[in-house]
Amino acid sequence: MVFSVHMAVIRISHIGKRFGKVKALVDVDFDVDKGEFFGLFGPNGAGKTTLTRILTGQLTQDSGEGETMGVPFTDGLGIKRKVGIVPEAETPPTFLTAQEFLELVCRLRDLDKIDKRVDRWLDFFEIEEKRDVLCRDLSRGQRQKVMLASAFIHEPKLLLLDEPFINLDPIFQRKVREYLADHVKKGRTIFMCSHILEVAEKLCTQMAIIKKGRIVALGTLDEIRSSKDEGLEDVFMRLVGAGE
Amino acid sequence: MFKEELRLHKSFVGGMGSGFFPVMIFIFALVLAFTSPVVMKNISKDTILLVLHVAALMYGLSVGALGAIGEQVMTRRLGQVNMLLQLSQLHPITFRKIMATFYLKDLLFYILYSIIPLVGGIAVAAPFAKVPFTSVGLLAITLFLTFLLGMSLSFVLSALAVRSRPAAAALGILVVVLVAMVWPLGYLSSGQVLPTLGYWMYRDPLYLLATTVIVIILSSAAVLFTKERFETKQGTYKSMLLPSVERFAFTGDLKVLVAKEWVELRRSGAMGPVVTGFLGPLFAVYILAWFFRTGMGLPISFNSVFYGGMVGFLGVMTYSWLTNLEPNEFMNVQPATVDQVIKAKLVLYFMLTSAVSYTYVTIIAVINGELGLLPLALLVAASTTVYVVGVTARLTGLWTNTMLFDYRVQSKFFGAIVPPLIIVMVLSFWISEAPTISMALLAVESLAMLGASWFVFRSVVTRWKKEHFAFATLTAGSGASS
Repeated sequence: MVFSVHMAVIRISHIGKRFGKVKALVDVDFDVDKGEFFGLFGPNGAGKTTLTRILTGQLTQDSGEGETMGVPFTDGLGIKRKVGIVPEAETPPTFLTAQEFLELVCRLRDLDKIDKRVDRWLDFFEIEEKRDVLCRDLSRGQRQKVMLASAFIHEPKLLLLDEPFINLDPIFQRKVREYLADHVKKGRTIFMCSHILEVAEKLCTQMAIIKKGRIVALGTLDEIRSSKDEGLEDVFMRLVGAGE
Repeated sequence: MFKEELRLHKSFVGGMGSGFFPVMIFIFALVLAFTSPVVMKNISKDTILLVLHVAALMYGLSVGALGAIGEQVMTRRLGQVNMLLQLSQLHPITFRKIMATFYLKDLLFYILYSIIPLVGGIAVAAPFAKVPFTSVGLLAITLFLTFLLGMSLSFVLSALAVRSRPAAAALGILVVVLVAMVWPLGYLSSGQVLPTLGYWMYRDPLYLLATTVIVIILSSAAVLFTKERFETKQGTYKSMLLPSVERFAFTGDLKVLVAKEWVELRRSGAMGPVVTGFLGPLFAVYILAWFFRTGMGLPISFNSVFYGGMVGFLGVMTYSWLTNLEPNEFMNVQPATVDQVIKAKLVLYFMLTSAVSYTYVTIIAVINGELGLLPLALLVAASTTVYVVGVTARLTGLWTNTMLFDYRVQSKFFGAIVPPLIIVMVLSFWISEAPTISMALLAVESLAMLGASWFVFRSVVTRWKKEHFAFATLTAGSGASS
């Protein structure tokens, strides 16, 4: 009996999406295998967030199909139950405290040992003393930490992260980076959009570059660079165009 | 700033909705002016002037609390909303100067948006109602000045409150004392406290001049009181989510979301407005009934069944408040759907309003000596409440305040709500003439509304299950309707 080593946790098949006259995604087609740290890169407005929203069932594609963790993109609730998501823009609820928000997430996900989980992540992000502060009164960095904690708290097998390092100081950028690397070592999967290319270069095992809704490069860094000396930033500039 | 205001308004209510409000004001004023000869036969001119000027004052008071907005914007309490008000954080301009401009911009906006349509409606009807144009012009001036008085008073109170709550409270108490000197104490006349009304009482232009001076003084004081720097306050709150989940365990699968809604309602400070937003209109219905009976001289008996129907209709305001607490966009990445949050809000709505509604109807029945009508009145109250809030949730989801300004949603809403409500009203008036048949028809209608509600509530799920929590933002201006 032969087992395939490639088990796709995200399967994207010829996805297209328009917003009015704007083609946001054009025939996007690739898989993300289990255990990969997958990075999606592209300039502003290239379609990264749109694709992430489709993969997480927040947005419906116009054409094509696909699955996340075996759940069709059309079943948003099913996908959200199985994965952890850090969105690009959304912030935690205005009138709940940091602790209450994490408790809410635990209850929505039917998790056990709620106190232990909440304490662990408040401690990880060093915001224990802010646990009783309303999320609206937290700094931007603290709010981002709460959003990250809410995605990590159920230890999902797949994390979809849209600019996870935004507003984090260098100490926590490193701490989150190490956590994510460890997450992948345990056989779990990460799909990440980021503009911080030097971080992505260190972490990503597979990557795609998107430009005007089309995938223009796909593979490992070695596969998409033209020479051994070319870094991810150079690849990005070459494919996307520094002047654009 | 004016462009920002127009675009902000348009983003909330859409292009058509943005133009709809002044049209409604115009029509309202037109109808009021047309009916004024009938009204003036039954209500004195002084009473009408008092009501109009108090309404203008209250309107000004309700829109003038700009001092509080400054603090919210400068301390990021408006979340991701960025406004020109924040310019002074990075640019060489004082916050006082920006606030003064913002105040003038608001003034211009309200003149164009509500004062001109109001006066325009009265002016168009003036020849038919045999009201001289000079009176319309004078009324426009006194109403405008009264509105300014309310707005400047509210501005100074809010600006003062940011600096010193006791000072703002003292000024507030002074205003209350002045009002009390007029009523109930009777030491002063209403014209002495509200000078624009004094003009109508004594026909002395000095009253108009005095109002203008007071407005300038209050506005200038408000700008002077405006703080230049704000500090973010960080209150701490013990977690009450999990205890609330246990408390609402009886709501089954919805208990977590109901608990979330409950905590947000308590923390946001919206409990007061939610309750008064329900009790206020109930009180207003009494006033309206008085107006129709006494003012218009209509021989109609407003029985407890009529009030039962009104209770159901007025619940829309409370539901709207509940949908305004939190944008909920963070829920996009959690395993919950829009329809589940709507259901949680509906559960909370029924918990908040049911006891008040039925007590209100019962009190009316007792006062009117109609205990025999009480079971029917309660049935009517229950069925209209369930039906109206069901239709509201189905058509507007979590964005009632925004979507009800969309003319397409609005027309569907009124199409679904108004006919059954008119039938309830007509049948309730008919009880005194033909009790058996009218009561039987009311019972049948109530049961029909309950039956219809079952389908409406089911359709809430199909309509909203797949929608995004940022639905209103994503569809702003497109006139999204179901």
